[in-house]
Amino acid sequence: MKNPFHRPLSAFWLASSAIALIVAVILPAVLLPFHLRVLQQIFLFGGMAIAWGFLGGFTTYWSFGHTAFIGLGAFSSALFEQWLGPAIAPELRLACGLLIAVVITFAVAILIALPILKLRGVYFAIGMLAFAEILGEASRNFDIFQGAIGVSLPAVSLPGVSSVSLFYWLFLMLFVVNSLIFIALRRSRIGMGLICIGQDEDTANMLGVPAERHKRIAFVLSACMISIGGVLYAHSLGFITTGSVFRVEHSLDMIVFNMLGGIGTVIGPALGTAIMVFVTQIVLGRLLDYHLMLTGVILIAIVSLAPAGLIGLVESRYRRRRSTQIGTAL
Amino acid sequence: MSSILSVRSLNRNFGGLRAIHDLSFELQRGAITSIVGPNGAGKSTLFNMFTGYLRPTSGQILFNNKSIVGLPPHLICGRGIARAFQIAKPFPQLSVEKNIWVAAEFGASGYRDPAAVVEHAIETCRLLPWRHAEASSLSVGTLRRLELACAMAARPTLLLADEPCAGLNETETREVTDVLLEIKAAGVTVLLVEHDMKAVRRISGRVIVIEAGRKIADGPPSDVLSNQVVIDAYLGSAA
Repeated sequence: MKNPFHRPLSAFWLASSAIALIVAVILPAVLLPFHLRVLQQIFLFGGMAIAWGFLGGFTTYWSFGHTAFIGLGAFSSALFEQWLGPAIAPELRLACGLLIAVVITFAVAILIALPILKLRGVYFAIGMLAFAEILGEASRNFDIFQGAIGVSLPAVSLPGVSSVSLFYWLFLMLFVVNSLIFIALRRSRIGMGLICIGQDEDTANMLGVPAERHKRIAFVLSACMISIGGVLYAHSLGFITTGSVFRVEHSLDMIVFNMLGGIGTVIGPALGTAIMVFVTQIVLGRLLDYHLMLTGVILIAIVSLAPAGLIGLVESRYRRRRSTQIGTAL
Repeated sequence: MSSILSVRSLNRNFGGLRAIHDLSFELQRGAITSIVGPNGAGKSTLFNMFTGYLRPTSGQILFNNKSIVGLPPHLICGRGIARAFQIAKPFPQLSVEKNIWVAAEFGASGYRDPAAVVEHAIETCRLLPWRHAEASSLSVGTLRRLELACAMAARPTLLLADEPCAGLNETETREVTDVLLEIKAAGVTVLLVEHDMKAVRRISGRVIVIEAGRKIADGPPSDVLSNQVVIDAYLGSAA
């Protein structure tokens, strides 16, 4: 008997992922900058939506405040790199900024995890929302953080590579790393524990799952990867204010992308992000006023028609077809 | 041989209510012992303290001669106490197999090969036809056996069974008690809380009667269940 929690990684999926990755890597050579920017957004926000799922994908601990970690990463790196000064090469400053952002986010996430993971369900969601608000307000109102006036970031570049392509590759890398972390997590003991916590936390505890520890690991890991996303995002913007990185929309997007595609998977949030970014950037590119309204309509449609997302919809169709086949065979 | 569980002058108050009142007993290794008593006598409170969900107000609980008071539930599970609930609480959207696997994987710390344990639990608890079924689709009797299977797969040395026969018909009751006997035969000590006196008589070697948090009788089922104090307090004169 094999571990029933391990889904076999099919050769088909591995091969198609590898091909997709190769295609994605060489795309900057053929695409127009505008289309590259659209793909940039898909990889950046898709990667972050996947990182949101480290905790929210397996359990009902749905964070409504993950923008806190985008902002935390962005401001930690921006202020540290400003302090380092222009004498140091921008690329080295980015590396230092990444390091410091991860260290700070790690510390903050561990501290906040203790009280906030004691809250369940909607209380956790609201707690995270408040946490993000507090950090945002702090960055805006304390002068040392310069959130109100804004902070500039060094312009990172590589010889012979356009800035659009460079950030495209960085975001792609983040996306791939987060996907791999998610898959590794799902196949690990921690992932198994998290799935159980999502089903019934008390029973999980009863059967010996160290629920507190597993939740904390997933939360901190998620926070750190989001923070890295925040650092890269800030550098791609070149200039950040509180309003650009501490945005409720960022938090909501991570949830909407997951819900649209299918929570608890890698493909789900990636697909959800791709659809939403495509629709809002390309289809509605000239109708920005309708953007938020459309997000609302899509959200209502998913919740009522496909609560398990598009992946869930496809899976249940497939299962129904298979079960009727078995039915006729019997 | 030393006792596996030792309860010493245990007290638990809820506000002004004394749910458990100076309770002491020792549990013999390898036997099935039943705790009976009217609803509200403190049986569930007792189980909640044994599994770390409630802290005693005072007194000691020793498991294998070590205190377990104040330990969190997952560590107590790791030491070897498992519990099957009266109202079965499986992971609803996971299959029977997965439910049991989790218990095997996390139950006893440091265990490396859950597969054999899972197979054994599925067979002993007669769950083979349902192994791929979602837990939420099971009937009450099957669910109760799934609870026992999970508790077994955690490889406990002490199993706390909380009214495993409540609401079951005679056939189902017999199936559950058979499973309990097999668990005992495998060397596991069983502490049973049950209202079904037929089941209690059939499988337990010793009965402890509690009422309003106090022990009022303790001994072999034939003696205890004909004891006048027990009949007045719990069974009723018609029994």
